[in-house]
Amino acid sequence: MPSISQTFDSLRSSQKFQKRFSIAIRLVIAVILIVFSIFPVLWIVSASFDPSQSLATQTSLIPSNASLQNYQRLFSKDPNYKFGDLVFEKWIWNSVKISGISTILSLMITTMAAYAFSRMRFKGRVTMLKGILLIQVFPNLLALVAIYVLIFQTGEIIPRLGLNTHAGLIMVYLGGSMGMNIWLMKGFLDTIPRDIDESGMVDGASHWQIFWNLILPLLRPILVVIGILSFIGTYGDFILARILLNDVNQYTLMVGLQIFTSGQFDQKWGVFAAGALIGALPIMIIYLALQDQIVGGLTQGAVKG
Amino acid sequence: MASVTFRNVYKRFGDVTAVNNLNIDVADKEFLVLVGPSGCGKTTALRCLAGLEEISDGEILIGDRVVNDVAPKDRDIAMVFQSYALYPHLSVYDNMAFGLKLRKVPKEEIKRRVNEAADILGIRDLLDRKPRQLSGGQRQRVAVGRAIVREPKVFLFDEPLSNLDAKLRVAMRAEISKLHQRLQTTFIYVTHDQIEAMTMATRIAVINKGVLQQLDTPQNLYDKPNNLFVAGFIGSPAMNFFAGKLRKDGGKLLVDTGDFVVPIPASRAKPYESHAGKDIIFGIRPENIHDADFIPPNIDAEKVSVKVDVTELMGNEIFLYLVSGKNTFVSRVDPRSKLRVGQQAQVAFDMDSFHIFDAATEEAIR
Repeated sequence: MPSISQTFDSLRSSQKFQKRFSIAIRLVIAVILIVFSIFPVLWIVSASFDPSQSLATQTSLIPSNASLQNYQRLFSKDPNYKFGDLVFEKWIWNSVKISGISTILSLMITTMAAYAFSRMRFKGRVTMLKGILLIQVFPNLLALVAIYVLIFQTGEIIPRLGLNTHAGLIMVYLGGSMGMNIWLMKGFLDTIPRDIDESGMVDGASHWQIFWNLILPLLRPILVVIGILSFIGTYGDFILARILLNDVNQYTLMVGLQIFTSGQFDQKWGVFAAGALIGALPIMIIYLALQDQIVGGLTQGAVKG
Repeated sequence: MASVTFRNVYKRFGDVTAVNNLNIDVADKEFLVLVGPSGCGKTTALRCLAGLEEISDGEILIGDRVVNDVAPKDRDIAMVFQSYALYPHLSVYDNMAFGLKLRKVPKEEIKRRVNEAADILGIRDLLDRKPRQLSGGQRQRVAVGRAIVREPKVFLFDEPLSNLDAKLRVAMRAEISKLHQRLQTTFIYVTHDQIEAMTMATRIAVINKGVLQQLDTPQNLYDKPNNLFVAGFIGSPAMNFFAGKLRKDGGKLLVDTGDFVVPIPASRAKPYESHAGKDIIFGIRPENIHDADFIPPNIDAEKVSVKVDVTELMGNEIFLYLVSGKNTFVSRVDPRSKLRVGQQAQVAFDMDSFHIFDAATEEAIR
């Protein structure tokens, strides 16, 4: 019979083995997932350096005649080149502007609305919250025709908010993004103890001062999350922008890029890929800049911890 | 510095009456403790005073001013919350300075007051830290400091010690008492812990189910409880109660519990004469039940036969859980007592210190 210490040793080594085995399995799964998600990106990168403009002829990830031709064409103003009059930089700027403004406005409205829903007790509060949720159930796409008519009619009265204006588009985005975000924000606000509000009240702060000085700083993690989601959502939107904007100079990036692939025998997949990659830069920059901010636990220490 | 008056105050939440006709006069510089079991309305009463809840009826006065419709910030009060409610993103200094900054107090003055309060509480070296970097006791001090710097007329404390461990609680208890002596301001303190109430208060208001039961000094509450609830709530271990009858037998008044009979000394019999033949509840505190071998001199001891059920050794005393018929009760006896579990024994009731309550009204008979 093995001694107690020997039994112990064998048990320990088998535990060690089990641990290593489970780590190995996890690594394999991780690698598979990474390959799975990174492959399309690699393909786009490859296509952007391939001057042949055809997806069908692209047989290897490293194109044989790689060049920067596609990138040059994106920014080229050569009138002989078919897309020379297109304004790629302008589209990026439009996209960033529209997404940025609607994100900021949407954060402001969302936060204040959620604060009221979370902290104040008024008639119709629950009904309104449920109503917001209900509206979210229907996708924006269903309302497409209605939105078009709405903006068209608005434009008759206030031309600056009408069709083919960025302000009009921003208005539509604002309405669409609010519902879910209010719920998200309210959920986060509900976790911040009311004692903080009441303590502020006794300390002499007004509702606005409590909101601005005490509560808003604690909302930073959720503000960042909602901000990023809402920026990406509007930046990547195609259908609303396609319908409401009809001047090439007003186009957002997503609408503009589509031109490259729309010619029936003249699809410029390489240029499209290059444009898509450059277009992804703003989102990447935002992610990298804010990744440290996406941390929970900021309220830790407010009350007994 | 100011007095505080609750005048016929009601607070209703729907069908529930949380505070029911509360009448309390708190003198200037007094340390009043509101004590009662969970959900008795004591915290609600405090929140009404702070202005965090609107009262349904009645009047609350701070000084001579009716504050029913005055916003919390204009009531000149400071409140320490059970959860401390520190502002997590602000440093200790800014936490304490927040109220003053809102009131546009000059910077120099804010600095002076915060430093002074920090010195009193011994948190001077923590001023740059954030709340999450503090221990529970330190957070507690910051919360108190935030109240001190405001120099309010009335301090409100809502169970400020209940989140601390037992040892720290005892230490903070003494500190809050010291603080009260030093600041010479009105303190109103809510707790469910009768020991906190007894040790700190100048007067205690015992509240149950929204109704004020008794308002008196700690010693009077202990010695002369008005009713069964107060008698049972104040003191630890709690007073023993025996349901029984008052019986007259040959000129002597007897308490008959069914399991044992004890006579009421002639010197104390007078107030009970009229209740002869009625149902009563006989109450006696654990420290007034002695081991028959260690009866203190000069007391009117009455022996009762019991069985020892459980013993708890405390070192300086022993708690005996005793059984007599259907009654179980506690006694707090001399540590030299030889009584052990399972023994049949004799204990002595000190008949100079008992309480008798009317079984129907639960009011004390005096």
